[in-house]
Amino acid sequence: MSQLDRRQALKLFAGLGAAAAVPSLAACGGSSLSEDSGSGSSGGPIKIGMLAPQSGVYKVIGDDMINGFKLYLQLHGNKLGGREVDLIIADEGETGDSGRAGAEKLLKQDKVLAMTGVVSSAVMGAIVDMVETAQVPLVGSNASPTTLQGVTYIWRTSYVNDEPGKALGEYLGRTLKGTVYCIAADYQAGKDEVNGLLSTLPKDKLYGDPVYTPFAPNPTTNFQPYLTAIKQSDAEAVFCFYAGSSAVEFVKQYKQFGVNKRLYAPGFLTEGKVIESQGDAALGIFTSMNYAADLDNPANRTFASEYQKQPGWGIPTTYAMASYDAAAVLDKAITIAGDDLTPQSLNAAIGKIGQIDSPRGAWQFNQNRTPLQKWYLREVRRDGGVLSNVLVSELTTLG
Amino acid sequence: MVGWFDAYAVSIVDGIAFGLLYFTLAVGLSLVFGMMDVLNLAHGTLYLAGAYLAYALSDGGWGGLVLGLAAGIAVGLGGGALLAAMTQPLAHRGHLDQALLTLGLSIVGAEVFLLASGGEPLPAEPPAGLRGSVEVLGHVYPAYRLLFIGVAGVLALAVYLAFERSSLGALVRATVADRDMVRTLGVDTRRVLFGVFAVGAVLAVVGGVLGAPILGPAPGIDGHVLVMSLVVVVIGGLGSVRGALLGALLVGQVDTLGRAIAPDYAAFLLFGAMFVVLAVRPGGLISMVKSA
Repeated sequence: MSQLDRRQALKLFAGLGAAAAVPSLAACGGSSLSEDSGSGSSGGPIKIGMLAPQSGVYKVIGDDMINGFKLYLQLHGNKLGGREVDLIIADEGETGDSGRAGAEKLLKQDKVLAMTGVVSSAVMGAIVDMVETAQVPLVGSNASPTTLQGVTYIWRTSYVNDEPGKALGEYLGRTLKGTVYCIAADYQAGKDEVNGLLSTLPKDKLYGDPVYTPFAPNPTTNFQPYLTAIKQSDAEAVFCFYAGSSAVEFVKQYKQFGVNKRLYAPGFLTEGKVIESQGDAALGIFTSMNYAADLDNPANRTFASEYQKQPGWGIPTTYAMASYDAAAVLDKAITIAGDDLTPQSLNAAIGKIGQIDSPRGAWQFNQNRTPLQKWYLREVRRDGGVLSNVLVSELTTLG
Repeated sequence: MVGWFDAYAVSIVDGIAFGLLYFTLAVGLSLVFGMMDVLNLAHGTLYLAGAYLAYALSDGGWGGLVLGLAAGIAVGLGGGALLAAMTQPLAHRGHLDQALLTLGLSIVGAEVFLLASGGEPLPAEPPAGLRGSVEVLGHVYPAYRLLFIGVAGVLALAVYLAFERSSLGALVRATVADRDMVRTLGVDTRRVLFGVFAVGAVLAVVGGVLGAPILGPAPGIDGHVLVMSLVVVVIGGLGSVRGALLGALLVGQVDTLGRAIAPDYAAFLLFGAMFVVLAVRPGGLISMVKSA
């Protein structure tokens, strides 16, 4: 009897194991069976590895990044620097461990020429040494913690985590008469953003101490106690940092509990799919970001209109835009590297690409291997029936 | 005192709303554990299923909510029976095996919801008339939460009366207290078991349908409500409806009023309260299970 049970249990575990393995197998499918080596100057296809979440809570951002990169390839005949591209996508998952496994597969098994992607700061932290040792350039398109410095092979087309806060702090200090109430999720990105704000906001404009809402082991979902405190304070405006489902809950409850103070935040509060879930509660929120879908420049007119032509992609986000730019960086660098194309020569070439003509406006890499770029103030408005982050003004240039 | 009460009135009312929400979850978990010694870690998945149901069926009117509740009851009955049937063969194999099975089921469930929803948090809106806020004694409060307190309060009262005052409830209480004795009396305790499992599951799914506009469907919510209801069970005591209700209302207050009074200690308050209760009354506030 007990043996039968054990066998049943084993079967069950085998089943569970198979179920868990399927998504990751599917994620690394596609053209990864091709036998060519990624590098070499033969003129054959080159392998670009993309590490992006295909499962877990960051999947939405991962999808945007994959879309952005694919759109660039689509608009350029599937070529980067004149070479046919074999894009291999590996699942980043949610944690440092799952991300490391994906990066290891791309580097050791697929032997890619270069990597891109990476949503989570935790994953970035977990793969820094691996990438630097492998000497394969990683043109990251999202994760960029303030702690990531002094690297040689890791570039980012996004921004450093404290920059949205920096851009807002200076603006709020200039425009507000009263004080700002500061509230954020209690993890690294939240602290980076708040520290960014505090670095540019005059001290007398901050209301009390910043309040951090617990994130681990369970993210805060009921903000009522904090919102009541905000409502009872005499602060003129509120700065908050939330993303994903916390952003949805915070914004809805902010409205439901009748807080009337103007809300400012780094762009992710209302970026991408979350804005649809927030609905009308998001109207009138001001955010800072390095991109707005309605920016008026030739590169963005092409990017935004082509992006929205794709079924189900929606309005382009900063995540999609940064990934599109990562493809543009590789395109330019592969051209510069020419016939002698190795991961090392490509990395040297990325340092020589100069200005990128991007949908966000022109930018270039700085010493820290992150963009020197403009920041924009956006307001959530109804634009042709759809909620969107509408450009209000330029804030500053950072990087 | 009046000033203090006025400052925290919203938090206290909100604590009741969350307390009742946690009760709908914890009561099933507590009875099933107290009765058949089955630790059901897939209980949070039932809430998530209810929340997704509410999202899928909500049409901005009352019809959608009623439809959601009906579907929730059906899903709860089915899910509860399925879980009972699956954990039954493991009944004599200890908590670890049950935990592995139900945890595995919850992971599979979470992944299925993730694939179906695309991973983004979904807006489960209450009927159009309840989307705004109302002003009571100078305080702004979401209208739907007020209604939720009423409905969940009635639900809790009904469960309490059925469990404490009806003959069926007496049978369930007897099974919790001494399963073997009830069996000797000629009652098929497995049917009681299946029944309690199913009712507990229905409550969890209905809690999800009703609670979706307050604690909406998103990845990770299943784990969150599971942890909260485990804390409620530990504080309230195993196998008791009264304990679950008391524990849930206490946890609700600690989690809202506590946070409002001492925001810096928010992360520790809940487990601090659990620690205090365990130190003073290791069996929970009201436990119906004989300690072995």
